[in-house]
Amino acid sequence: MIPRHQRILFWCLFVCIVAMGVFLFLERKRARDRIGSLADATPIDAPYSNTESVTLDLASDADGSVTATTRPIALPDEIAPRARALLEHLVAEYALPGSPHPLQSGAAVDDVFLLPLPVIGHAIDTTAKPTASGGNTTIPVASTDPNALQPQTTGGELAVINLRSSFVNAHPSGVEVESLTLLSMIGTLHANLPQIEQIRFLVDGQQRETLAGHADLLRTYPSHDTTIAATVPDAP
Amino acid sequence: MKPATSALAKSAAILLALASISCPAQNSPAQTSAAPATSPAPPPPPPPATPTHPAPTPPPTPFNRSVILLDPAHGGLDSGSRISESIVEKDVTLTFAFKLRSLLAARGFSVVMTRDNDAATLPGTPNTPLTLDDRAGIANHAHPVACLLLHATAAGAGVHLYSSELDATPGETFGSPWLTAQAAWVTQSQRLQKNLAQALTRANVPLVLSRASVRPVDSLTCPALVVELAPAGGDNTTLIEGGYQQHVAEVIATALVFWQNQAQPPDRPDSATPTPPVTGAQP
Repeated sequence: MIPRHQRILFWCLFVCIVAMGVFLFLERKRARDRIGSLADATPIDAPYSNTESVTLDLASDADGSVTATTRPIALPDEIAPRARALLEHLVAEYALPGSPHPLQSGAAVDDVFLLPLPVIGHAIDTTAKPTASGGNTTIPVASTDPNALQPQTTGGELAVINLRSSFVNAHPSGVEVESLTLLSMIGTLHANLPQIEQIRFLVDGQQRETLAGHADLLRTYPSHDTTIAATVPDAP
Repeated sequence: MKPATSALAKSAAILLALASISCPAQNSPAQTSAAPATSPAPPPPPPPATPTHPAPTPPPTPFNRSVILLDPAHGGLDSGSRISESIVEKDVTLTFAFKLRSLLAARGFSVVMTRDNDAATLPGTPNTPLTLDDRAGIANHAHPVACLLLHATAAGAGVHLYSSELDATPGETFGSPWLTAQAAWVTQSQRLQKNLAQALTRANVPLVLSRASVRPVDSLTCPALVVELAPAGGDNTTLIEGGYQQHVAEVIATALVFWQNQAQPPDRPDSATPTPPVTGAQP
């Protein structure tokens, strides 16, 4: 006859084993989903093979510098996929071991949208019927703001970079490190796509106040040369 | 492949966001609604004028050379960046602000702080969190000779000094936008940055000088800098060591004594020669 206290102990241990098994199963599922979201390999752009020499503005946390560096990279011909591929290559550089500006690996840019300047808005046309695919029809909306975005030269464009929340949420926090990421992206687009005059950032299609608590993501950034030499203050 | 429904929902969200970007007048409520509530009290509204009238210029801004504003960034639920397992940015900035306040007070300055405890709340309303626009409002009401936004990071070394990324404008204009109010002060901010950089270099503190867009620096109407304190070397614990913070604070406090007499309010070319109203054009 098994004593009563041993039977109670047995069933307690059995319940603990089952609970631990369920917990491990759920954690494994969560980890798989998280890794899957970072390694989304859905083909979006047509394949391309011709490599060309492009300029990447690479940042360094040690001295706060941004340096133009040339890399042979295969890029698509269309401008928007080209901008997206440039930014993905830039972030991939930062994910390499020993990077002077270490960032987490994985897809960073969901998409890049290019809008000709001056920008007009678009609103959903509530009077139109849904399209065959179930989407909504949009109508252009002119801005009444006299300070609305204007091009510096004819053909200037606004680039809207839609970042992935997985990239933004894992980005290191700090004024320097966040500013360098934005400057690096802006400088790389400026060096390779001069028709882009202004740049805005979204995160998963929504506006966000800061990148990781510091660098402003609400403002429109002018596209310009962002290379910064290592700091050497003037002599007193 | 992504589910079709999520792709449609994402496309709709992006379209809405693009529309809000395209029409700045319909900007986010955080930008538009908070600004009037926290911006400095504007001068009396100008009399109605036809488009042919030049805009009246405001009276000269009082410029208090004995006031310094310190803004220890973050606070309360917003911890800022994680320096190490046990150190968060909000604690480092507050400790550094206290050291700086003591040194500045000893040198005859009156110091205004946006927060002096862990919780970042509006004065007199402990349950109302302090927004970035509120911090700018506190600074602009004080009319300080320098505004220092204090941050801390584990990346890099020494002190990082940032001025606004806005392009400098020749002088203050009446009713300048809230999000670009710093433009008239950028030249003075860069001079302050240069002064502090020279002092820190003489004290052998590693330095990074740059420009950055960190809210609310673009809304400040004073010479303003973002001061980011980084570890002395590779050891993050130096950020909470009193000796390192004290050394940097003493250098900054001493430099601000010299800055006190060098600061100049932005030019107001129109205020010297106000244009008389064109009475014939009045309705």
